Amino acid sequence: MSKVYILGGAQTDFERNWKKEGKGMVALLKEAMADGLENASLTFDDVKVLNGDNRVACFVGNFIAEKYVDQGHLGAFLTEVDPAFYGVPSARYEAACASSSVAIDAAATKIRADEYDVAIIVGWELMKTVESRIGGDYLGRAAYYDKEGRGIDLPFPKLFGKLADETLKKYPELDEKRYMDALAKISVINYSNAKRNPLAQTRKWFMSYDQASTRDTETNPLVGGRLGVSDCSQVTDGAAVVVLCSERFLNERGYEGKPIIKGYGHRTAPMLFEKKMADNEGSEYTLPWTRQACLDAYKRAGLTVDDIDVFETHDCFTSSEYAAISAFGLTEPGHEYEAVENGLIAFDGDKPINPSGGLIGCGHPVGASGARMFLDLYKQVTGTAGAYQVNGVKNGMMLNIGGSATTNYVFIVGAEQ
Amino acid sequence: MMNIQTVTVIGVTGTMGANVAGIFASFGDAKVYCLGRDIEKVKKTIPRIVKSVKADAIAKNLIPADFSMLEKCVAESDLVFESSKEDIKVKKEIAGQVAKTLQPHAVSCTGSSGLSITEIANCYPDRLKEHFFGVHMFNPPYSMSLCELTPTSFSDKEMQAELKEYLSKKLIRTVVEVKDSPAFLGNRIGFQFINEALRYAERFKDNGGIDYIDAILGSFTGRSMAPLVTADFVGLDVHKAIVDNIYENTHDYAHETFVLPDFVQKLIEQKKLGRKSGGGLYQRVKYENGLVRQTVLDINTGLYRDVIPYVFPFADKMKKYIAEGDYQKAFERLVNNHSLEAEICRYFLLDYIVYSLYATKEVGYTIEAADDVMATGFNWCPPLAMYQALSTVADVPTLIRENLPDVCKKVNIDELLAEVKPSKYDYRLYFKSGR
Repeated sequence: MSKVYILGGAQTDFERNWKKEGKGMVALLKEAMADGLENASLTFDDVKVLNGDNRVACFVGNFIAEKYVDQGHLGAFLTEVDPAFYGVPSARYEAACASSSVAIDAAATKIRADEYDVAIIVGWELMKTVESRIGGDYLGRAAYYDKEGRGIDLPFPKLFGKLADETLKKYPELDEKRYMDALAKISVINYSNAKRNPLAQTRKWFMSYDQASTRDTETNPLVGGRLGVSDCSQVTDGAAVVVLCSERFLNERGYEGKPIIKGYGHRTAPMLFEKKMADNEGSEYTLPWTRQACLDAYKRAGLTVDDIDVFETHDCFTSSEYAAISAFGLTEPGHEYEAVENGLIAFDGDKPINPSGGLIGCGHPVGASGARMFLDLYKQVTGTAGAYQVNGVKNGMMLNIGGSATTNYVFIVGAEQ
Repeated sequence: MMNIQTVTVIGVTGTMGANVAGIFASFGDAKVYCLGRDIEKVKKTIPRIVKSVKADAIAKNLIPADFSMLEKCVAESDLVFESSKEDIKVKKEIAGQVAKTLQPHAVSCTGSSGLSITEIANCYPDRLKEHFFGVHMFNPPYSMSLCELTPTSFSDKEMQAELKEYLSKKLIRTVVEVKDSPAFLGNRIGFQFINEALRYAERFKDNGGIDYIDAILGSFTGRSMAPLVTADFVGLDVHKAIVDNIYENTHDYAHETFVLPDFVQKLIEQKKLGRKSGGGLYQRVKYENGLVRQTVLDINTGLYRDVIPYVFPFADKMKKYIAEGDYQKAFERLVNNHSLEAEICRYFLLDYIVYSLYATKEVGYTIEAADDVMATGFNWCPPLAMYQALSTVADVPTLIRENLPDVCKKVNIDELLAEVKPSKYDYRLYFKSGR
């Protein structure tokens, strides 16, 4: 099988509110694409030339632009970004919040199969076009909408609040306060990591352990079961671009030191949250298919958790990051709090999770998050993450989930040698 | 890192005092004595402080106090922040009181937006003078991260470096060191622009005046709010205090642009101070049936009339291009249009670049300082980024020579522009499509 190299990419500043700037998806995509190609040392003319020989394709990740901006057919929409995309094969990939991971997977598959030499992935979402309750309803379509979304106020916080309940139920020896404090600390770690990331949405925001651990107050109201606003990721506008290429293209250009995709995992759990929980009965894990996706990625990469130096995970809520800790293999299931309490996952810990700030700190434009995490792994492995660079990263791993941990996508990115 | 556990904020019932107390209590995680003249008023301010950083958790850090407790609070504090009325007499009096019990290790700051820091420092005995600094934050500090740090000739250099580190690392401020010069750097640049816009409104009063100038310098020119809307937001009295102070105490090439136009003086006399007094340059009229009318002062008649939806082809094209992310095409329109409005717009944006670079030489220590203050204190496209933006379509030095002949006679443009560097700020996010 051919190797898949990562040439680079870019994300937009997740602090931006594009509606307030009076700009829409065309501007978002133009800016993200221009920055992403530039970082990957490609020009629009390169795209044109490559396309002349049918060597380049585009993969668009987006969850639900049909609702947020009244636009579908998003693969084709890249032709509005630049005429260089006329004729370039391009399609949109959707798997809720894991949309851009499925786009990356499709792109990597085409490179691995030696069908294209360059694959451009753009994940994006504009979410501030509507007020948060309407947006929350749109997002309900990532669950089984008729049964878990329709008519329910903020369905997703409720589902991940249930995940918190189920975690406590599954591990009866787990003290409730200990668990809730671990969730608060997860929130604080993500907010504080975001302070180092110049493109993070919450880089100026305040969060403290006191604030995060005191829920059900005016400034930290409960939003789903026992979870407060501090346990939630953000409503974000943004895009992330990643460029992959074949070994042939890499050699043509003479690039060196570009990382490769070492492994991936992709597993789909039952759509309904209740079925998901019923399904975990024989497992030690609350989210066995999430764990399985991680195991698959390790196996494909020929690596173990010991080889991974940094993680980016899908902290759409603190309860999902909590579950990810054991899914990655950082602790035994039921003992995830240990990794929070002993500093293992802190920025200066041995196995930092979300140096970028994650979905809570950096922001969560749903269709962009997978590509944003992937880009952050690229930055960490190539030593280009600036102020949030973790020392000595050889391999990084990401978990991007769609729905209530329904679609589970894992990638391992690492230095070639 | 400086260990600041206890802070006294003096003048906490004012907008800035309250917001600054919030910053110390949250990011600084310090116990904050919130001191005001009337303790009942202070108690009512506490919830506002909590809201300013969106965190109930800081409430336990906020302790109400009044002036009778000043000496005791100061004696316990590692840092004292005075945020009283912008009146040198008041500030000197408070400094005298603070000096009585300020601890030998403690830092004392004034939040003054433009008075002489040295003059206030002189109220302290010699051994404490070196601990005194100007620390000027912008409103609201939770979203505007700028903090102008002004040492005096007495200041302890080591303490200055530690304070800078504390402000930037712990309080998450964008710290810009500036000289003890009237209004410091951000307001010097920003209010030069705004006052010049007021003067142009008077000069072009027959073309529409206030809303006419705002329509030429709207958010499509690299800011979130048009300049004269900003003046109303700031308060015309505050505006006057700033430009008068600069006019009286500085003498640069733009000296005359700091003269307050007569019509603004009249509004101030009529107590029409802007948003806080229910109207100033603009006035929102609300009818009982819910109808809202946006009105604006007609400078000729002194009466308010409806805001005019001006149509300037250059501006409309710019907005359309910006909406689609075609910034170069937008700037081409600006640079190549021959209408009077485009000329005015070019004059303002180019003079903004020149004046910023000029002022930072006088008041700042680096050219980047001008960028930091305008981006993080005003949320305007900072000057170096503006230079970069226009450079995508034209040779900016040539543009400056063509559009600012009078300024070029007074300023050595080549020398000034020789220091231009790429900006660390992305110009794209400041140019908005809208009014």
